[in-house]
Amino acid sequence: MIDIYTEKKESKDWILQNDLYFNLNTGNEEMTENEINLIHRVDDAKLTPDKHIETKYGLGTIRNLSSGCKTLLNIVKHPEKVVCVEECGPNVLKIIFAMDNIKIYMSRPSFVEIPDDAKIRFNDAEVVTGGTGYHTWWSKEYERREVNGL
Amino acid sequence: MVYRNIAFQADPFSYDLTFEDRITLVGGDSATGKTVLYEILEDLRLTDEYKAIKLFNYKSDRFLESLRQCRDNFIVIDNADILIDDDIRKFINFEFSNQYMLFLRNCDGLNVSDNSFKVLKLEDNRITLEEEL
Repeated sequence: MIDIYTEKKESKDWILQNDLYFNLNTGNEEMTENEINLIHRVDDAKLTPDKHIETKYGLGTIRNLSSGCKTLLNIVKHPEKVVCVEECGPNVLKIIFAMDNIKIYMSRPSFVEIPDDAKIRFNDAEVVTGGTGYHTWWSKEYERREVNGL
Repeated sequence: MVYRNIAFQADPFSYDLTFEDRITLVGGDSATGKTVLYEILEDLRLTDEYKAIKLFNYKSDRFLESLRQCRDNFIVIDNADILIDDDIRKFINFEFSNQYMLFLRNCDGLNVSDNSFKVLKLEDNRITLEEEL
């Protein structure tokens, strides 16, 4: 199940500033083989044991990963937290929607490929399935926002 | 427009960025070099030719106050999806002396045109802004 929250909340259990959270926390944690592969897949970056990276843009440290990649790693390493995905590009969102048991925040829909069997729960309430369910929910949500002048 | 074109060399890459609207939104996939460009602009803005460039990201102090003081500037905002609110969107819309390059996906409330939506494209070490499809 992917939990999506659509109203922003300030809470210690939420990560709204992904770069900041990653640089102070996630980036200092040990990366597993799976996470190293994700870094390679998203940023085309090679991570060394001393947390340096090599990309087509040059050499840097793990702090120089893209915001999208940092967001993805924040989700993977802290699945108990609600993570803002508003800065993620379609390439990262596609990976996120193929995951399970995660919590994300997005205030508007993204046009991204979602697996047909993905179970998505909005705001701890309605559960939908796949891309069709996702977009149908957002259509209703926009109608609701319009009625309420939001 | 403050700059119709920003061109410079950052070996091994050459950047040739052409702007067609006062507001340019740079989107596309993650890891296409937006923050790398931002970091290069931090140096480029120290040159005479590009001293109109002002940069803001999630590390910027007093972001709103600093932004509101900008006139005749080329303003670049990284992490814009988490930084800009309705007030800032209004400022961007109505402070016509400034030009903007926003690393932003949500265009709600901004006076943008079809020419505003761009992605960074890398081909043969040349980096350009292309229309986002």
